Amino acid sequence: MDGPLLELFPRFDDLEDLLRNEVEARYILKKATDHLDGIKSNDKAGEEEEIRYLICAVVDRNWERIHTGHFSVVPVTTRQIYAIACFFKIFFLLLESTDPRQKEKCSGILDEAQLLGCTDDWSELKAALMEYLDKGQQETAEPLPILAAVLRGSCACDIPQLDAPGLNEFQTKCFQPQQPTLLLNTIKHWPAMDKWRDLNYLLQVAGNRTVPIEIGSNYASDEWSQQLVKIRDFLRRQFVDQSGDGCREIEYLAQHELFAQIPALKADICVPDYCTLSGAEETPAAVDIKAWLGPAGTISPMHYDPKHNLLCQVFGSKQIILAAPEDTPNLYPHESEFLGNTSQINAAELDLKTFPLLEQVRFYKLLLQPGDCLYMPPKWWHYVRAETPSFSVSFWWE
Amino acid sequence: MRQLLFTGFNAFGQHEFVNSPRDECAASAGFREISAHDGGNNNTKNQCTISFDWRYTAYALCRKLWLRGLLETEPGECVEVEAPGEIKALAAGDSHCLVLLCTGELYKIQPKLEATLQAIRLENPPRPSTATKRTIFGAVKAPAPPSIEHIACGTNINVAVSSENAVFSIPSCLHQFPDRQWRVQQLECGHEHALLLNGNGDVYTWGNGLRGQLGQAALCVEETPQLIESLAGIKITGIAAGGWHSAAISAFGDLYTWGLNCSGQLGMRVMKPNGLQKEPTVYPLPQLHDLPDCCCCSSRESGAEDTDVCEPLKVFAGSRHTLLLRRCGRLWASGWCIHGQLGKQLCEQNFLDAFQALHGVDADLDVVNVLCGPWATLLMVTQKKSVSTDDPIS
Repeated sequence: MDGPLLELFPRFDDLEDLLRNEVEARYILKKATDHLDGIKSNDKAGEEEEIRYLICAVVDRNWERIHTGHFSVVPVTTRQIYAIACFFKIFFLLLESTDPRQKEKCSGILDEAQLLGCTDDWSELKAALMEYLDKGQQETAEPLPILAAVLRGSCACDIPQLDAPGLNEFQTKCFQPQQPTLLLNTIKHWPAMDKWRDLNYLLQVAGNRTVPIEIGSNYASDEWSQQLVKIRDFLRRQFVDQSGDGCREIEYLAQHELFAQIPALKADICVPDYCTLSGAEETPAAVDIKAWLGPAGTISPMHYDPKHNLLCQVFGSKQIILAAPEDTPNLYPHESEFLGNTSQINAAELDLKTFPLLEQVRFYKLLLQPGDCLYMPPKWWHYVRAETPSFSVSFWWE
Repeated sequence: MRQLLFTGFNAFGQHEFVNSPRDECAASAGFREISAHDGGNNNTKNQCTISFDWRYTAYALCRKLWLRGLLETEPGECVEVEAPGEIKALAAGDSHCLVLLCTGELYKIQPKLEATLQAIRLENPPRPSTATKRTIFGAVKAPAPPSIEHIACGTNINVAVSSENAVFSIPSCLHQFPDRQWRVQQLECGHEHALLLNGNGDVYTWGNGLRGQLGQAALCVEETPQLIESLAGIKITGIAAGGWHSAAISAFGDLYTWGLNCSGQLGMRVMKPNGLQKEPTVYPLPQLHDLPDCCCCSSRESGAEDTDVCEPLKVFAGSRHTLLLRRCGRLWASGWCIHGQLGKQLCEQNFLDAFQALHGVDADLDVVNVLCGPWATLLMVTQKKSVSTDDPIS
């Protein structure tokens, strides 16, 4: 670690307000920041091992606090302390060694700080650490495939289609009447359209990041679980060597805020103008941008979301089945609190014996292809299945 | 003589080691004797009561109460307070420690240097109107404040149970169980859930069950105590609450665990076909364990009639670890061990994902009781008597 990187670490003065009522974090982070000051001024460093242990204890302790109660009610202070403690944990690990294995371990800790903690006040330090840790991590294994660019196939579409409509046209024909519409050729200009098909590019800019992956073909099934994995391992498992054993489970990087985590990927997309429209007069709320990356066969079962949704297809194609909010009583939503917005049916293969009311539902089918976006108004039911390896980006706004 | 053997997180000088009082070791890995404040008294009446929080430990002996640890600025800070009566039980939490007197009165104290005991006024449980007591002059008699028998606390939960089976989420009354039908045997709290065991062997749970802590099929929050249906009919003799998991032992010597298994605390090893561990995993319903034979079974010469000799007897839990005392006197453990919670030899490992025998306790010591702190384990041991009729092994 060089001087400029060390300068980005918080000093105790920066943390004093945050730690006012935090007895243990104040005691431990004081020791850690003092130790860092000592190193910067070349003082002899004592009790390093003990402070390193204490920092690990603060990380573990705040991990427990973050996992107690619902995530939405965890105090921001707790998540800030967690992130800062993670930064210092990385600092002490790098004092110990800076070999590739240690750096790899530190990357994992940085990702956890990003995923669970609140790093907003320290984005410069986070970016600098990320760059430092990625430097010199070379790919030794064989390269990943480059997916072929495919031309649009013609296929049936049960909803209106518009070719790259302007903002006004979108407002009058789609947004105001709450009409789901397939918007063709709307994201052709994204750098992502050319870059992302080369999986080696994703590997290079994102391989070292840890992300939550859904395992199992659909989130409403009992076999489903979630795991934190490195994008590198996920890409190798899901996009290389598809022959294999057949018992390989489908993994899906779904509904993840990847672009907040990896600024380089954010630069490859643009938020479509359509997302600036809002029902009210006031300025539109922030747009949630989520990534959906997986092999062929990933399924999002029939469900609805509360916001406006623009699903943009970068590579691969997805079969989509829609149903209107009016049909909600006929779609058999799950009764549990968690899955209340999800239907029990398999929209691709209707079982009218078990779910007779489905006979009354009007379903709309379409195929989402690269360069196209699907606009879905709030509460519209949708079932999504990837026909090929696929990368989509969704924009949610109110 | 009773000794206390400690292992685990001690970064704040919560515990004073007998042999090296100025020990700097932040994570005590391996069982070592700590000072008990009671001179190792064998008379149970004069033994100190202990309760762990993460950053301090509370000790009580007769009317005296000590809080030790990081109270405000430095490790090893200690305050001594005298209670208005003899102390029966302690429940140490992050923001305060509950103190129960033998009279049934409840107090709390904040873990800071200028700490004082504050009386807790509990809401009176609702009473049927016919039971209104009147004085001989006909005036309504103010109901006596509830007399508390059991207390427990966690990060987001504080509970107490009165001698008349009223359950309190301190200070309000949550639930009134039928009085006199049974007595409460045990009350335990995790970070955000509570378990209650009654004399019939039934287990009730309430609080946050989003990680499967409550032993109910649905993951949800329960405001009031609910019977664990899947254990109904099985007489439970002991319970434990970890941070986000729970455990129970039945009269048949069966062990059940449920809740979150993020660090192996349930002792349920789950491997996926590709060798990836499925984690974190939630088991909402009690899982019956088929424990491996205890090592002392196989070495016995005539083991035929004594398969019960190693059955689980008591269970204990910390934030993410679980300890099991078997009838033969051996301790088994599973779960998180990175802070030395399970003793020394496991320190290099992050956690154990299946129950295994715990080593590092002298063979000539009898484990009488176990107390788990969030990241620590305390064994209460006595020297084994050489020949004794109540020694289960002889």
